[in-house]
Amino acid sequence: MTRVRVTAPHASPGNPGRGGPGPLESREAAQDSEVGQVFVRSLIRSQLRLALVVAGGFLLILAAFPLILVAVPGLADTRIAGIPFDWLLLGLGIYPVIGLSAWLYVRTAARNEARYRDLAGEQ
Amino acid sequence: MNPGVAITAVTVVSLATAIIGFYGLRISRTTGDFYVASRTVRPWWNASAIGGEYLSAASFLGVAGLILLSGTDALWFPVGYTAGYLMLLLFVAAPLRRSGAYTIPDFTEARLASRTVRRVTSLVVVMVGWLYIVPQLHGAALTIRISTGLPSWAGSVAVVVVVCLTVAAGGMRSITFVQAFQYWLKLTALAVPILFIVSVLAGNGTQPLGAADVNPAGTAPAGLYQNISLLVALLFGTLGLPHVLVRFYTNPDGHTARRTTLIVLGLLSVFYLFPTAYGLVARMFAPDLARSGQPDAMVLRLPGEFIGGTAGSLLSALVVAGAFAAFLSTTSGLVVSLAGVISQDVLDGSVRGFRWAAVVSAVVPLGFALMTDSLALAGSVGLVFAFTASTVCPVLLLGIWWRGLTDAGAIAGMVTGGVLCGGAMTAGSLALAGSGQTPAWLAQPAAWSVPLAFAVMVLVSRATAHRVPATMPRTMTRLHTPERPLATER
Repeated sequence: MTRVRVTAPHASPGNPGRGGPGPLESREAAQDSEVGQVFVRSLIRSQLRLALVVAGGFLLILAAFPLILVAVPGLADTRIAGIPFDWLLLGLGIYPVIGLSAWLYVRTAARNEARYRDLAGEQ
Repeated sequence: MNPGVAITAVTVVSLATAIIGFYGLRISRTTGDFYVASRTVRPWWNASAIGGEYLSAASFLGVAGLILLSGTDALWFPVGYTAGYLMLLLFVAAPLRRSGAYTIPDFTEARLASRTVRRVTSLVVVMVGWLYIVPQLHGAALTIRISTGLPSWAGSVAVVVVVCLTVAAGGMRSITFVQAFQYWLKLTALAVPILFIVSVLAGNGTQPLGAADVNPAGTAPAGLYQNISLLVALLFGTLGLPHVLVRFYTNPDGHTARRTTLIVLGLLSVFYLFPTAYGLVARMFAPDLARSGQPDAMVLRLPGEFIGGTAGSLLSALVVAGAFAAFLSTTSGLVVSLAGVISQDVLDGSVRGFRWAAVVSAVVPLGFALMTDSLALAGSVGLVFAFTASTVCPVLLLGIWWRGLTDAGAIAGMVTGGVLCGGAMTAGSLALAGSGQTPAWLAQPAAWSVPLAFAVMVLVSRATAHRVPATMPRTMTRLHTPERPLATER
């Protein structure tokens, strides 16, 4: 395990919350040009769009679960291995949906960043 | 329950916590170690630690108790607690890690270039932390009273003493190991007894006393508004919890922060199957436990209901140990993050200052806990989530994703959210004391307080658009662009 010494980021007036120029500083400076900012803006937009789509999709599925139970009479009382179906759906079935959404997001977000890096690197 | 066995269980957990904490002490020496474990904790360790820290008294005792009382309505609690982490992953995890800040006040100050925003954020964070520690101490008081017969205060005081010792001694590096261990302890402590209970029930062919839809305590079903408001609080409250956020700084980079969160989601999903199982088994086979007036104690009592003799007391002791691990881990996580905030803002940011701040962070909520009575654990923690969702969440989300946020907007939004939500909580408890019930819109304020806080933040920022700091484009670049060394990606 490599260890990096970090100092407390106590603010200096000109550079709030950060202690002096580091590798991060050069990363931002490299993007100060107009073209660089265009790439950054487009990266932020695509990441936000991705997050909103995944969140929206997940919330729709979440809302659909109780609606299914209301829409199909008798479904809630159906038993599988002695456990009522509504308990299985809400107590068990939602978790794989959460995991799948998260996995999809992590994959696509890394891909967005790779695309950005290709663009910014060519500059 | 055998008091001797229970006391032994609590002692063993406390000792294990202290020993792992002191083991970590030997390798933490610098201020950086103390604050963020030098940001090099591996994803699996870190994910277990996040899980260990997040699964509090509400998750371990409260959720199962509430499911026993309210059935499928209460299933939204574990779903919301888990899905809150999904929102955290989507909107906050990587940018917050890349911000390079240690605490939420560090983040808001860097993003908005304002010391005043920093002070307001610090105040909100400390309030959230204290509000959240109180139910942990109530849970400890309940557990000690039920399992050992000792007076309630002994449980709260024991938790505060162990937490102060470990945090002040080892800082965050050792806390990471302690909490990773406590996640697995909590999982085992719930899983083993329920598997025994189910196999005993299946083995002797006990017939269920009631159906799963039986309503043992005659609780009124929650309305649509209450369920939606609860979900808003849990989904958006998680991403503002100070002890959850501080964990992300221990990842080496933004990509690792995302991977860690993915693992956490898996760990939480597995964990929450067990409180759900306790709730269902209790509802079907031991609905009497709901009528004892202490549904939060159901998890502690269930093993003794079905399994007698030594096996029964050992299983009960295991549950008590797990519950105690839950109080210790959440409280120590909160104390670490509060101590980070207090020591940097009030004291000088040194290791000594951190130790004193840790003691203050733990002792103040102890006073509150000793003066107040325990409400339903899951419900009181739900209110803390509503408060966080109305204050910290808007400033984080808008700060990360919206270029137009200003210091004036951030302060106005946080104050609005805090006053509305805090006011609803106070009015709700007054109404409860007066007429014996709380109207739904006061009991679950998140559905209106969160949108209002967002709206005020956006409108005031728009009106003060000239105050957008000149550093904003650089900060946004830092938050969203991947780190240069690509060691962990691809």
